[in-house]
Amino acid sequence: MITPMHKSPRYLLISAVSFVCMVLLWEAICRLGLIEPVFLPSPSRVLLRAIALQERGELLIHILASCRRVMVGFLAAALAAVPFGIFLGTSRLFLSIFDPVISLLRPLPSMSWIPLSLLWLGISETQKYSIVFMGSFAPSLLYVIEATKSVDPVLVRAAQNLGAGRADVMREVILPGALPQIIAGLKVMLGIAWTCVISAELVAASNGLGFMIMNGKEYFQTDTVMLGMVLISLTVMIIDAVFKRIERKVLPWMS
Amino acid sequence: MTLKTPHPHPGRCIVSLCCTLLVLFAAFGPSLSVAESPKKETVVYGGSTWLGHYPVWVGMKKGYFEQKGLDISFKQFHASSARMGSLLAGDLDFASTGSISALALMAYGVHSFYVVATQDSYATVEGIIATKDISDIRDLKGKKIAVTFASSSHVLVLDALESEGLDPGRDVSLINLKVSEMPAAFRSGEVDACGVWTPFFNRLLAVEGAHTLMDDTAFSLYRSHEIGPGPDLLVVSKKMPERRPETTKAFLEAYFQSVDFLISDPEESAALLVDLTGLNLEDQAAVLKDVKWNDLKKQQRMLVNPGAFAGGLQQLASFLEKHGQIDRAPHVKDWLRPDLLP
Repeated sequence: MITPMHKSPRYLLISAVSFVCMVLLWEAICRLGLIEPVFLPSPSRVLLRAIALQERGELLIHILASCRRVMVGFLAAALAAVPFGIFLGTSRLFLSIFDPVISLLRPLPSMSWIPLSLLWLGISETQKYSIVFMGSFAPSLLYVIEATKSVDPVLVRAAQNLGAGRADVMREVILPGALPQIIAGLKVMLGIAWTCVISAELVAASNGLGFMIMNGKEYFQTDTVMLGMVLISLTVMIIDAVFKRIERKVLPWMS
Repeated sequence: MTLKTPHPHPGRCIVSLCCTLLVLFAAFGPSLSVAESPKKETVVYGGSTWLGHYPVWVGMKKGYFEQKGLDISFKQFHASSARMGSLLAGDLDFASTGSISALALMAYGVHSFYVVATQDSYATVEGIIATKDISDIRDLKGKKIAVTFASSSHVLVLDALESEGLDPGRDVSLINLKVSEMPAAFRSGEVDACGVWTPFFNRLLAVEGAHTLMDDTAFSLYRSHEIGPGPDLLVVSKKMPERRPETTKAFLEAYFQSVDFLISDPEESAALLVDLTGLNLEDQAAVLKDVKWNDLKKQQRMLVNPGAFAGGLQQLASFLEKHGQIDRAPHVKDWLRPDLLP
């Protein structure tokens, strides 16, 4: 969903009707033979592929394999980026020390790490986690640094004037101030981690949604490719919804 | 409040912009004065550094296509699927492809191409290479085998396992790996065996303790039909013989002239091919030594239906269907067009 504006039943109905119409139009275009199925498979064909893969017991394996890789890689990146980012966001000295390295790492696409990760970690699962980690870490770190820096310095000084120590300022001012932006940044990064898993599953993977898409491509099974894409979108939507629930628990004032 | 001042010399600005555009047009735009030269028919060919494309490359270097009034645009693709996708999109006139990609498209009911030849056989330089403790296919049970999924080696490994009653899903661990990444994985002990083809086949064999467990000659369809697990096919876009029959004929004539040259002079061919493959002359000559070329006369015998090759390709399609690689085996004969051969 694009914005929470659509929450009212009226807008939900409009969204649902437009979605159904779009799918019906897509099906009709394919059934009328206006586009060859190899270029655009019909929704029913994609559904049949999903059923076939489920019957062979493969569908859930692919979904779970990708979810595991995304979650391990992303959580490792978040666990490293959040404390380190807060530290750098509060220390100009260390930020200037690490800034050149972060600037060099930030623009690197996750795919560019494949050759080195293969040499360092071989073809293991750790290699795949590392691709997701490397693709998510530097951008997450930047989000956290910016979130920390955005905390109003007047509030920090006020707390210090009232006798708060470094730990108190961190716990009572910086963390609550930066957390909403950190969480928003991590939500964006979770989506990006899903793009990284596609790169991770290009090499030495025998399961996962990225593998499913690439293997489908090799056999011109565009319905498999489309199914993989749909499943990634659905999985990200579900994880996003879970994230929102966690956000409401951790940051009740934000909702 | 600051006021925006107008540009002091708008005329000069326009002149500068026009000059810049002229310079850019001169650098990147089409040439305005094209010298008159005999018009050549352009044929777009989809290739790569793989040996199946050697005839076109050698033909270009020897000028065989030029003599027939053809200008070959050689486009490189990293995989057969990408090449066939481009053919399907109408960007290529001719291409060579591994048969698995062609069969996959046939299985999808795509009729936009024909198979006109199978130009080579490389049965002794594709196979399964294993560590010394694996002496038999049955020894692969519980082992890790590297294969490139959707490749001829994948088919070979599946066939080998099946012939010994091993289940690829349960009894072994198949790891999807590019052939270029296999030597490192094999050396580090991350995999116990590899399904691999030349030139990496020879490179893996050079690793200490590596040996050939089987090659394509042990493939079930090779024994019955003399067809490897993924024979190379020369394919043509359906539009070519329909709209440009003379060009199609000229291309195929030059193509088989080139195949004859590859057979008669492998030394000079190797020297011509190093530009394409980037191999050194010695390795290039070694690759050529292991390839058997099918000349025009042989093509005409092989592609007839019913015949050994056509039957073998049909069996291969059924094999792919059985292993869930394609949804249904197509009637391969519908795509075979030996009548297009000169």
